[in-house]
Amino acid sequence: MSRHTINFTLNGRPVTADVGTHQNLTEVLQESFGLFGARESCGQGLCGCCTVLIDGAAVTSCLALAAFADGSDVQTVEGLADGEELSPEQEAFIEIGAFQCGYCTPGFVLMTRQLLDENPDPDDDEIKHYLSGNLCRCGAYPEIVQAVRLAGEKRRAR
Amino acid sequence: MTPFELAQPASLAEAIALLDPNDTAIRPIAGGTALMLMMKMGLYEPQKLISLRGIEPRYSEVAATADGGLRIGAVTPLRQLEMLPVVAERAPVIAHTMRRLSNVRVRNVARLGGHLAHGDPHLDLPPVLIALGATLAIAGPNGERTIAVEDLFQGYLETALAPDELIVEVNVPAAAAHTAYLKHTTRSADDWPALGIAVALDMQGDSVSGARVAIGAATDTPRRLTSVEAALQGEALSDAAINRAGEAAAAEAEVHSDARGSAAYKRELIRVFTGRTIRQATGREA
Repeated sequence: MSRHTINFTLNGRPVTADVGTHQNLTEVLQESFGLFGARESCGQGLCGCCTVLIDGAAVTSCLALAAFADGSDVQTVEGLADGEELSPEQEAFIEIGAFQCGYCTPGFVLMTRQLLDENPDPDDDEIKHYLSGNLCRCGAYPEIVQAVRLAGEKRRAR
Repeated sequence: MTPFELAQPASLAEAIALLDPNDTAIRPIAGGTALMLMMKMGLYEPQKLISLRGIEPRYSEVAATADGGLRIGAVTPLRQLEMLPVVAERAPVIAHTMRRLSNVRVRNVARLGGHLAHGDPHLDLPPVLIALGATLAIAGPNGERTIAVEDLFQGYLETALAPDELIVEVNVPAAAAHTAYLKHTTRSADDWPALGIAVALDMQGDSVSGARVAIGAATDTPRRLTSVEAALQGEALSDAAINRAGEAAAAEAEVHSDARGSAAYKRELIRVFTGRTIRQATGREA
């Protein structure tokens, strides 16, 4: 009973995994699926590096029991692009250069996805509010806020 | 983290039956944020966790009540309290508090019942709900009982819940006309607070006709500050009266030095923030 078989949708594809009840979702994404876009950094829900979307809502995957992903729709940064075509959020971060080392970027991009899904035209205060739980130790915050604005423009134009 | 069993019951009754009054290695889990942190640090190693995510949907719902208040299911994610118009309308201080409670990701997952049952004095909603006069419906093997939120907290991380009891609902009465919650963090903005103060005031003309004031973070448990309530009762809110309320708060609250500040500093914070919170609640210049 300390292992569970879970079925969920991962980046649009149905998948199955055999997980220990004590495993968190970051570990399972890395170990069972080779997806390293979500990475554990602070381990406490403060930094946002392990952000994934579960049923469209951003979640701290290092604090999420993998067993609870059963039946849900999980999206990681690896699933945002459509083939070679990057998502508007990804394009915007690259065009603005909204990172230096890039370690935190998947988390920022996925938080941006939830924000723009809920509010297609956020002002800077709203952007900062949504991103307050994501830390960029390179300090690219001004560019990140710019990138979110650009991502919003790109999405509204599509 | 160490392996454990995970049960996922489909009803509240099943969940309660799976808990054991004599075994604290069996615990409920809903959002799991606080529990995951404790398990990752090795502070808690469960034998079995009982998930509340699959119990009846009514425990995840927020409803307007006939008396002008709210009934909030204990498994409701905090994010709902931030987003639902009925919360902003009936208890705006709750919606406002969400803006600085952790971050969007944590609020997407964390549930109200766990936020309370964790018993951590640094959390934001306990003083807010105490000031609002909210009560809890608690279910156990022998049925339901109701307690005031302020009676839940018995000590640091200790609550009045038996190991086989669950918070099932939070009932918030019609909110006072003037409410506010302010917190102060001494290191970074997203740190645990050194102090949280919630105020709920009713006014008759220029004077206070009802006051509830509650404190969190600086004290061992979230609690009411009854001497402040008494100091405010019947007062016109002059600067002198607000200052007296601050002095009363600093005198009543029992505080200790820790990483977030010395006891003397916290007493000064309490004195100043009591006044600020009263001014915020009543729309006065801070």
